[in-house]
Amino acid sequence: MANQKSYSLPSIMTSDSSLPWLLPLITMLIVFAIIPFFYNIYLSFHEFVPLKRALIFVGWDNWIKLFTDGVFWGSLKVSLFYTFVCLIIQLVLGMGIALLIDSDDPGFGVIRSVLTLTLVIPPAIAGMIFLIMEDANYGLIPWALKSIGLIGQEDTILADPSLAIWGVMIVDIWQWTPFMVLILVAGLRSLPSEPFESAMIDGAKPFQIFRRLTLPMLHKVIAVAVLIRGIDLWRMVDYVFVLTSGGPGTATYTLSLYSWQRFTFVQWGYGATISLFSLIVILIVGNAFIHFAKVKW
Amino acid sequence: MFKKISAYLVGLIFFFPIFFLISSAIKPTRDIFAIPPKILFFSIDLENFQNAFSQIKFFPSIIDSFIIALGSASWTVLIAIYSGYYLSRNNFKFKNLFIISIISARMIPLVSISIPLYFVLSRLNLLDSYIGLILVHSCINLPLAVLLMKSFYDDIPKEIDENAFIDGASKFFILHKLILPLSLGGLSVTFILSFIFSWTEFICAVMLSQMEIKTLPVYASLYKTLPSWDTMSVIISISLLPLFMLLLFIQKYIVRGLTLGSVKE
Repeated sequence: MANQKSYSLPSIMTSDSSLPWLLPLITMLIVFAIIPFFYNIYLSFHEFVPLKRALIFVGWDNWIKLFTDGVFWGSLKVSLFYTFVCLIIQLVLGMGIALLIDSDDPGFGVIRSVLTLTLVIPPAIAGMIFLIMEDANYGLIPWALKSIGLIGQEDTILADPSLAIWGVMIVDIWQWTPFMVLILVAGLRSLPSEPFESAMIDGAKPFQIFRRLTLPMLHKVIAVAVLIRGIDLWRMVDYVFVLTSGGPGTATYTLSLYSWQRFTFVQWGYGATISLFSLIVILIVGNAFIHFAKVKW
Repeated sequence: MFKKISAYLVGLIFFFPIFFLISSAIKPTRDIFAIPPKILFFSIDLENFQNAFSQIKFFPSIIDSFIIALGSASWTVLIAIYSGYYLSRNNFKFKNLFIISIISARMIPLVSISIPLYFVLSRLNLLDSYIGLILVHSCINLPLAVLLMKSFYDDIPKEIDENAFIDGASKFFILHKLILPLSLGGLSVTFILSFIFSWTEFICAVMLSQMEIKTLPVYASLYKTLPSWDTMSVIISISLLPLFMLLLFIQKYIVRGLTLGSVKE
């Protein structure tokens, strides 16, 4: 026995220890998430100086600049607006459609399959599809809006400072409302039928049933959907990049796009500061949401 | 009946942009720019395909996308097989915190890892390389893959492991010989989803490789300032084809996949 043991691996490397199971994952997360996070903090206190061709320590300058930069506040506003408005529209629309197609009828299965199609389209490419459809001269959507008189003959969507963000949001709503629909349908389908039957017998109105039974029973599913959608809305950059590149002017800069744009203009330190800000916000809000909405995995 | 008609209408509305794209790919150029737009009645002309296939950079970017998606999906799944199993079967002190940090990794705005990774990869000489992007995409997909694999393992009764363990099998043996064969379905769903999300990823692909490697979304986005909608529609339609085909295999699990294994159908 003793002889046998001397040939065996140290206990930390056997399958009884957690190390061989989790080490690859932990290494990947350290190298590609935690080190970048600290490097981001490092960068936010430095700035690239072209004349010296080097990163120079600048103290709190980037952070002071951040809070006095009008474009930053504008992009923060766009990010918040985009995240919350899209989230609400997608949730309400998604719930409506989910209630509509929640049925055992095989015909509705086809609709569910069609709705999955948008989910695998690369967002950048979804943006390109809508770029064609929203083109000022030949686009389908401006043409339709003009023919029913919602916008004037000379109006455009993507070049108009107040409409451009809606031109971007429509893509997100098109692509990700089905995400909400499918999650909510999955939630609806898993609900037990007895409480609904007894409520019907008691003569409850459909809206009451929805308010008092469906919504509370779906809260876990809704929380997960809101969490994941919220994260992705906050970090969205593909659509704005493809459709408006932040324009007209700075009207549709989101935090991510603005930080990327600063980065390409070789303001590496400042770009990192903006992206760090958006990272810290989502980490705090996301984890608070997980805590208070009791999302479990 | 009213319900059914409106449901189909909703389906049509969401399908319409995809139809519009594919129809643009097979329309003659003058019909694409027609006003009023020719939505249903247009003539079919496959000349656009010839134009698209003569684009020198088109096929290389398909291959780039393919190598990166395949590489990163394999690497992601390989890691997720083991860590997902451990998380499913073992309780340890900081398990909840560990899972929370995996989800937190899913929250990171991709721009804020791309900027530092740009410097890290350039030190390692991995900018504009397959390995670099494969590793970055793996890291992006790992939270999804690990938690999804965990949810598939959770579906397999623990008694199987316990009985085998009592019989003296090692944990690696149990996973390899007993559990993995039972979770092949979940494994392929995880693999396909990782493949799709690597294929669709844009921002890291743009920032961490520009010259040598262009994935399809990056390549397609170069057309955004060009007026050649005909060629662009063909390129985009073709780049969607593999995704739609893969979707056929995982349609049943897409909700579970997109919610990181949290909502089961």
